[in-house]
Amino acid sequence: MSKLNIKNLIKSFPSMDRPAVNNVNLDIESGELVAFLGPSGCGKTTILKMITGLFQPDSGDIILDEQSLLNIPTEKRGVVMVFQNYLLFPYMNVNENVGFALKMKGVDKNIIDQKVKEMLELVKLPDIGLRKPKQLSGGQQQRVALARALISNPRILLLDEPLSNLDAHLRDEMRDLIVTIQQKLKVTTIFVTHDQEEAVLLADKIALIFDGELQNFTSPKKYYEKPKNIKAAKFFGGVNFINAKKYNDNLSTNIGTVHYKGENYTDLNEDNIITIRPENIKLSKNNDFNDNSFKGLIKSVIFSGTHTRYKIIVNDLELECSLQSVGLQDIKKDDTIYVHLPSDKIWAMNE
Amino acid sequence: MGGERLKIILSLTPPLLIIFTLFFGGIFYGFLQSLGYQPAIGKYEINFSAYYNVMFSERYAKLFWTGLGLNLWVSFASTFLAAVFALFGALAIRKTFFAKTICNFIYSLNLPMPHLVVAVGIIFVFSQSGLLARFASQIGLIGSPGDFPVLVKDKYGLGIILAYIWKEAAFFFIILMSVLQSLGENFEELAQSLGANRWQRFRYVILPLVMPNLFSASIIVFAFSFGAYEVPALLGVIYPQMLPVMAFEFFLNPDLNARSEGMALSIIIAIIVMILVVFYFWLTQAKIRKD
Repeated sequence: MSKLNIKNLIKSFPSMDRPAVNNVNLDIESGELVAFLGPSGCGKTTILKMITGLFQPDSGDIILDEQSLLNIPTEKRGVVMVFQNYLLFPYMNVNENVGFALKMKGVDKNIIDQKVKEMLELVKLPDIGLRKPKQLSGGQQQRVALARALISNPRILLLDEPLSNLDAHLRDEMRDLIVTIQQKLKVTTIFVTHDQEEAVLLADKIALIFDGELQNFTSPKKYYEKPKNIKAAKFFGGVNFINAKKYNDNLSTNIGTVHYKGENYTDLNEDNIITIRPENIKLSKNNDFNDNSFKGLIKSVIFSGTHTRYKIIVNDLELECSLQSVGLQDIKKDDTIYVHLPSDKIWAMNE
Repeated sequence: MGGERLKIILSLTPPLLIIFTLFFGGIFYGFLQSLGYQPAIGKYEINFSAYYNVMFSERYAKLFWTGLGLNLWVSFASTFLAAVFALFGALAIRKTFFAKTICNFIYSLNLPMPHLVVAVGIIFVFSQSGLLARFASQIGLIGSPGDFPVLVKDKYGLGIILAYIWKEAAFFFIILMSVLQSLGENFEELAQSLGANRWQRFRYVILPLVMPNLFSASIIVFAFSFGAYEVPALLGVIYPQMLPVMAFEFFLNPDLNARSEGMALSIIIAIIVMILVVFYFWLTQAKIRKD
């Protein structure tokens, strides 16, 4: 169980015209499972490599349990990384691969054998110890790589795109296994991913990174309900954005005054942006709603099985709404409709 | 199916005919000569006396066995040292773009250089009248160039070893650089994060990863240096003499009867090299089966 603090971390590479990592601050609690989420090249793997010591930051600090890691060589940090392509040593069998870290520490062979057995049981592969990596499937290789990383009881476990090379079925299995093992061992774990769904399903908290800058670090739920900025909202599927101005404890927009209950009202700038998730918008042919109800015109209707998506024009503004297909009112293209934006589902942001 | 097979056989026939006629034909005729069959001088009997003479006769046995010992020593030492120098060189500079470019350039220049030129270069640099001896004498490290240690035309084959290291290290280096570049650094980084120190990363990660390629290259270099003539001829001494030089001297002998001994010696060299090649294939096949 280890607590990790990242302070003002900056890293540049000569080949890039902006810092690969720009002033990142993060506090990761003991035993947390954290996702670094962002598009390719956003700097998430660079941060991971700085935590392991494979890259040195230009400035800033990485503190593990109140101790700076910067002057500690990689091999002594107790931070173990599982690489995206597993990297099992091809000339070793599974037992030798898993026992590698203990062998490097000079641990007695009998103890290594015992621990290897325990680890292979933990990853549910007890009978493949004598096989070579070539004889394993992708999913098995991933599990062996995980067992190899966990055997030395790391202070921090880092997983670089742990599910990206697996097919959909194996991905679900591996996701469950990672969560189970992480909860069982309580090892502080950071994984890197560009897949928003993977981050939401696995992580306690998500650090969203764009262009080397940390956008937000919070729970997956908050990214959906209360995103920090428009970039974060868009990354998590946000499509509805309305320019607004503060007005008598509410928000004034070009579709009318919006009644707002968000707790961040005092922190909002005079000019701000309202967002609401498509699934939180309600539609009605009659004006059944008390407040935040606006008249609009259906521009398109797209049926996609369980849900139906509507595009509605309200005063030149396009909004998108997603409703469960079961029990829908008969709403067609070009119908006039009332759009309800529930005040407890609206969120306003400064940028 | 049958027509396809016939097409392949017909396409392969011309090159195979040339290979069999020129290569195996030559070897077969040489083998016959080694067995004493020399119609040109009226010898038609077939026997192994040339082999016996070379290996066990009072006249040649000592020359042969000391020559074989020297051959093995020179080939082994030069192959091993060239591989070691190339490996450490490649590891030292693989991450620095500038040094890598320079070294690649120098080694690429060295590669097409004939062995004969390298041997002459060794004489110019390392002999007692060479550049190093004169320089050491000039700066007062030794009294006169004659005090410089005998590194060329010495009985331990040091000059020959130096020439082969000079030449073959480039071959090893180019192979190793390409292997190391294709491997990348991920395995080492992974081992480092698993707690391996610098030595452990070399011993348990780099070495096993490059070993198959290093071993293949070593067999080629060993086989070449074992059978090569020109460098030992230029840089070797009269006794002990490496086997290829000895074989050639049998051919130069005005007594045509000595040709059988020369051929016997050449066949012995070829057999040793072939045993090495077979051993190499056996090892690699065993490894493939094991994998």
